[in-house]
Amino acid sequence: MSTDRTTLSFHVNGDPQAVAIPIHRTLLEVLRDELALTGAKKGCNTGTCGACNVLVDDVMIRSCLCLAVSVAECKVTTVEGLARNGRPSVVQQAFLDAGAIQCGFCMTGMIVSASALLAQNPAPTRDEIRIAISGNLCRCSGYVKVVDAIELAASRFRQGNAAEAAAMEIRV
Amino acid sequence: MNLDNVNKVDGAVGLTMSRLEAWEKANGAAIFTEDMVLAGMLQGALALSKVAHARILGYEISAALALPGVKAVLTGDDFESRYMGLVVKDETVLAKSKVRYIGEPVAAVAAVDAETARAAARLIEVIYEELPAVFTIEQAVAAHAPVLHEDFDSYFKIYDASTRRTPNELALSTLRRGDIVQGFAESDVILDQVYETSAQYHAYLEPAAALASVDGRGKVTVWSSTQSVFRTQANVHESLGIPMAKIRAVSPRVGGGFGGKSEAMVQPIAVALAMKTGRPVRIALSREEDMSAMRSRHPVRTRIRTGARRDGTFVARAIETWFDGGAYADDTAAVMNFALFFGTGPYRFDHVDLVGHAVYTNKLRAGAFRGFGNPQVTFASECQIDDLAAKLGIDPVDLRLKNLVHAGDRWIGGQVVATSGLEECIEKVATASRWRDRAAKPVEAPDGKRRGLGIALTAHISGFLSTSAIVRLAEDGSVSLNTGAVDLGQGSDTALAQMCAAGLGLTVDAVNVVAADTDASPYNSGTNASRVTYMVGRAIGQATDVVREKMFKLAADMLECNLADLELRPGGFIGVGGTDHSVSFAQIAAKSIWFADGGGPVIGTGSVMHNEPLDPKHTLLAGFLSFDNVGALTFGAQVVDVEIDETTGKVDVVEAWCAHDVGRAINPGAVEGQIQGGFVQGLGYALTEEMVWDGGRLTNPSFKHYKIPSSLDVPYAIHAMIVEVADPLHPFGAKGIGEPPLIGAAAAIPNAIAAAAGARVRKLPVTPERMLRALRFGADGVDV
Amino acid sequence: MVAGMNAGLPKPSQVVSLQDIPGLRGMIVEADGAVRIAAMTVHAAVAAESRLAGGLAVVREAALQIAHPAIRNMGTLGGSLADADPNADYPCALLAAGADIELAGPRGRRICPVDAFFLGRFTTALGAGEIIVGVKLPPSALEETSTYLKFSRVDGDYATVSVAVRMGWRDGACTAIRIALGSCGGTPIRVPTAERALVGTKLDVAGLRIAAGAYVAACDPPSDFRGTADYRRMIIPGLLERAVRNALNADRGIRS
Repeated sequence: MSTDRTTLSFHVNGDPQAVAIPIHRTLLEVLRDELALTGAKKGCNTGTCGACNVLVDDVMIRSCLCLAVSVAECKVTTVEGLARNGRPSVVQQAFLDAGAIQCGFCMTGMIVSASALLAQNPAPTRDEIRIAISGNLCRCSGYVKVVDAIELAASRFRQGNAAEAAAMEIRV
Repeated sequence: MNLDNVNKVDGAVGLTMSRLEAWEKANGAAIFTEDMVLAGMLQGALALSKVAHARILGYEISAALALPGVKAVLTGDDFESRYMGLVVKDETVLAKSKVRYIGEPVAAVAAVDAETARAAARLIEVIYEELPAVFTIEQAVAAHAPVLHEDFDSYFKIYDASTRRTPNELALSTLRRGDIVQGFAESDVILDQVYETSAQYHAYLEPAAALASVDGRGKVTVWSSTQSVFRTQANVHESLGIPMAKIRAVSPRVGGGFGGKSEAMVQPIAVALAMKTGRPVRIALSREEDMSAMRSRHPVRTRIRTGARRDGTFVARAIETWFDGGAYADDTAAVMNFALFFGTGPYRFDHVDLVGHAVYTNKLRAGAFRGFGNPQVTFASECQIDDLAAKLGIDPVDLRLKNLVHAGDRWIGGQVVATSGLEECIEKVATASRWRDRAAKPVEAPDGKRRGLGIALTAHISGFLSTSAIVRLAEDGSVSLNTGAVDLGQGSDTALAQMCAAGLGLTVDAVNVVAADTDASPYNSGTNASRVTYMVGRAIGQATDVVREKMFKLAADMLECNLADLELRPGGFIGVGGTDHSVSFAQIAAKSIWFADGGGPVIGTGSVMHNEPLDPKHTLLAGFLSFDNVGALTFGAQVVDVEIDETTGKVDVVEAWCAHDVGRAINPGAVEGQIQGGFVQGLGYALTEEMVWDGGRLTNPSFKHYKIPSSLDVPYAIHAMIVEVADPLHPFGAKGIGEPPLIGAAAAIPNAIAAAAGARVRKLPVTPERMLRALRFGADGVDV
Repeated sequence: MVAGMNAGLPKPSQVVSLQDIPGLRGMIVEADGAVRIAAMTVHAAVAAESRLAGGLAVVREAALQIAHPAIRNMGTLGGSLADADPNADYPCALLAAGADIELAGPRGRRICPVDAFFLGRFTTALGAGEIIVGVKLPPSALEETSTYLKFSRVDGDYATVSVAVRMGWRDGACTAIRIALGSCGGTPIRVPTAERALVGTKLDVAGLRIAAGAYVAACDPPSDFRGTADYRRMIIPGLLERAVRNALNADRGIRS
């Protein structure tokens, strides 16, 4: 509705993007509506459910509360950017193997949260895992297998090749 | 035809595997309704009523229409009076001539983008003549109360509503067995208590959404976040008068339902906008709209009496329960009847008198929600039984064991209990929680806290309504499975594929699960009532039986032997026993479709309706839905360990043990996930979730104020324990698991609280404030 | 603000971002031990600051308990203080810590002590055109401990009641104490007379109960989704006692 527009230049999942948008658009709207990256979801649009979590310069944020213009020139990573050459990241594979995924609507945000945690803390305690996902509401799983999945990812990550791990950056 | 060795070798059933569609959900590729975009698509928005009860005198829509980018505005005036509804047909596509709750959709807009559509919706003015409203059951049944549905008697209903006594009652049902007066006369101890529960919001993570499109021949396709494509089709057909042959309902991935998406809401509106504009229209509700306009769980007030002998034998159970159904009937009569059906719990009572009322009020409609009336009544029943145990000086587990219903007993309505793993469930949770040890020597709580264990038993059913399946043999020997069942995320696609594969000795990846589609799929009433594994599984069993039979005949021909010599071999082969002569499914398929004596394409179908009508000689029924086809009784037991903070009254669940008899776990990991998820949804129901109305206004339609459990609000360990006592009617012995875990939590947690606190709160949720008042003042009632 | 826009509330006519202004992020410890936290420092950064110890731990503990991790990565100290939500965590913690709020505006810079900063619900002493530049915390003495206790219905919710304590303890007695009560009125409150009465005492249960009584009398708690006003009054004494005990035991890592 607002007539003020701008061109937003930023990087998304490693690709440079430039989109013409009204200035009041949120990052969530730009990702979903302009870039067809629908992995981040609109579960509440008020920052309480976590389904919209993405990484901006490797920091986990709520894309529904983020004005898109504030991430100009930044590096945005969505769930679509976590896989490597179409193969699951360590975190994604662990979620599959632990049976954590039910309806899946919260899981993209959950996987982003888990990836951000393990990039900072590769050996989290169960408590630290629960805190890391405390902002991701899930109505299907009861969280138990989600925590199991993140523990599994952490243990696999630690067992993996250290050099490879270093090269993985945020893509745990 | 011997399947046993095939199952053992193949193992498709009983295999823990992640969902077939898990990878796309993990990488963002899964398409939910709001992710879908069609060329030329418009976005829809709703205008919701701001008044609770009013006649609609007119609309002022010119400002909305004039907004640039707006392509259509629809109001109730644009539609004929056509009613939809599963149990009572009392709803129209948009409010027509009257509104009955704050939040009711009164108008809809289609525009070039969502922001414009919402801005236009805000510009719509509705001219109301406000009417007095009723917000509580007491107000609704009072003499001279304003009437919500003046035409109620003319609505189509699937039950006898003539028993109702006041104009706002929509159902009054009774179930009677034995002689209740005599029963109480024979009782040494009688408890008489009132329990209340609050409205709970489904809080699926994906808000309701629909996308509708009309093609060149006037055929409508509607994609939506739904639990039933067939109910979507029926609701669109009934509310808009479009023939079903012109309506195709499909669903992309669905982000949870829990009963809230079984019936329609936005689909008919999206279809109407698509037809009006000639362009696809997508409507996605905001979280606030979803909470305000869809449906809730019924808030219920139950007076319950139990009579027992001094030795603990149960004799008599009487219930009078009041269900607040909100402004539209939705599933209310069925939910209330279902609660009565479980009014005895899994216990033997010779004398039973169960009365249920369902009432209209000017609030958000209440409808199906995981448990379907059972959580409310089980909360009351299990809590009273614990109080009875305390009064009689009998251990709560022992009291239950003494009165358990067993296989062979007759349930309310006369249905014979086919199987029961309940004793095994009780034994598992009692042992794992060290119930006996802790009864003898309670765990010491730290200073300022109290600790306690509580138990609850659940009885529920898997079943309801009808379902069918088609299995087709493809040319390469794989198969296509089409059941019309929508996977809400509970894992049905995977479980159904596992059952189909096991029935034919194939691996799961040789089964193509076709997405539910009213054009292509056979009828399936819906994904609810813990029914899909059980009912659709039975239909799949029938269909694979037919396919096997046809393949065997062809194989006998091809191998030039007798049918009796043949055996099914894993991986898609049929061979002559004791030899290595065999033919592959692909070879059989080729014969069937290319050769004159092939008989034509191999297809198997199954069609199932559970058939155990209620016996009016066993139980007197009045004003009751015809539950001809309820289903298989399933049982479970849960023990919960809680800690209460004496300063704040906050209750924390420390640990939980949940044992459920699922007949046979098709996918054990998925069953565990359902148990854990259901338990947590029940934890929220028991401790934190409450929809709060101020008159007719829902005051907390947001996750900021309505709190569902997060990862830090749940115990570290929710032990999901699977018990398997095979059901005789299911090809693999399986029964459902969707609802029972929530029912158990809703009762076990209050029982643990009472054990820890020495004081009972008889209203859910047991908020910190209610708990603290009970601790301080022994407020042993519902007034907190 | 963005959440409000998403919900259809009227958009502000102009939004000015502070994110590119240099010097508005980070924490500095000055020579005398005073700590300055710049306004655009996110909660997660404050929560990770091990230099906020002793009498300043209360600020770190508050930051750690705000909402959820993603919110802690986005929300800022200045944003929280300017918002002055009665249920927020920082205002209560900073009141106990005895902070000074540093402001800058068209007429230059000025300091506003925290006791004078929060005027009412969502209302502060910020003048037109002024922004918060940072917060200055008085240095922590060796004898000081502090803590932030937040009681909420579920994790991550706003506080139903919160209690922030900053105190000194030497030779078995309290040498100084500031107690702030949050979520019990339009602004967090202190009752200096009750605080003074505790100085020199052993902070025994009886004394704390009297102090708590003064806080209960002085506050004006709301009735809302988290509880009635009456409920809040019922739990304040126990929570105040618990917070002081936690602060007393902070050195030894004991929590209740």
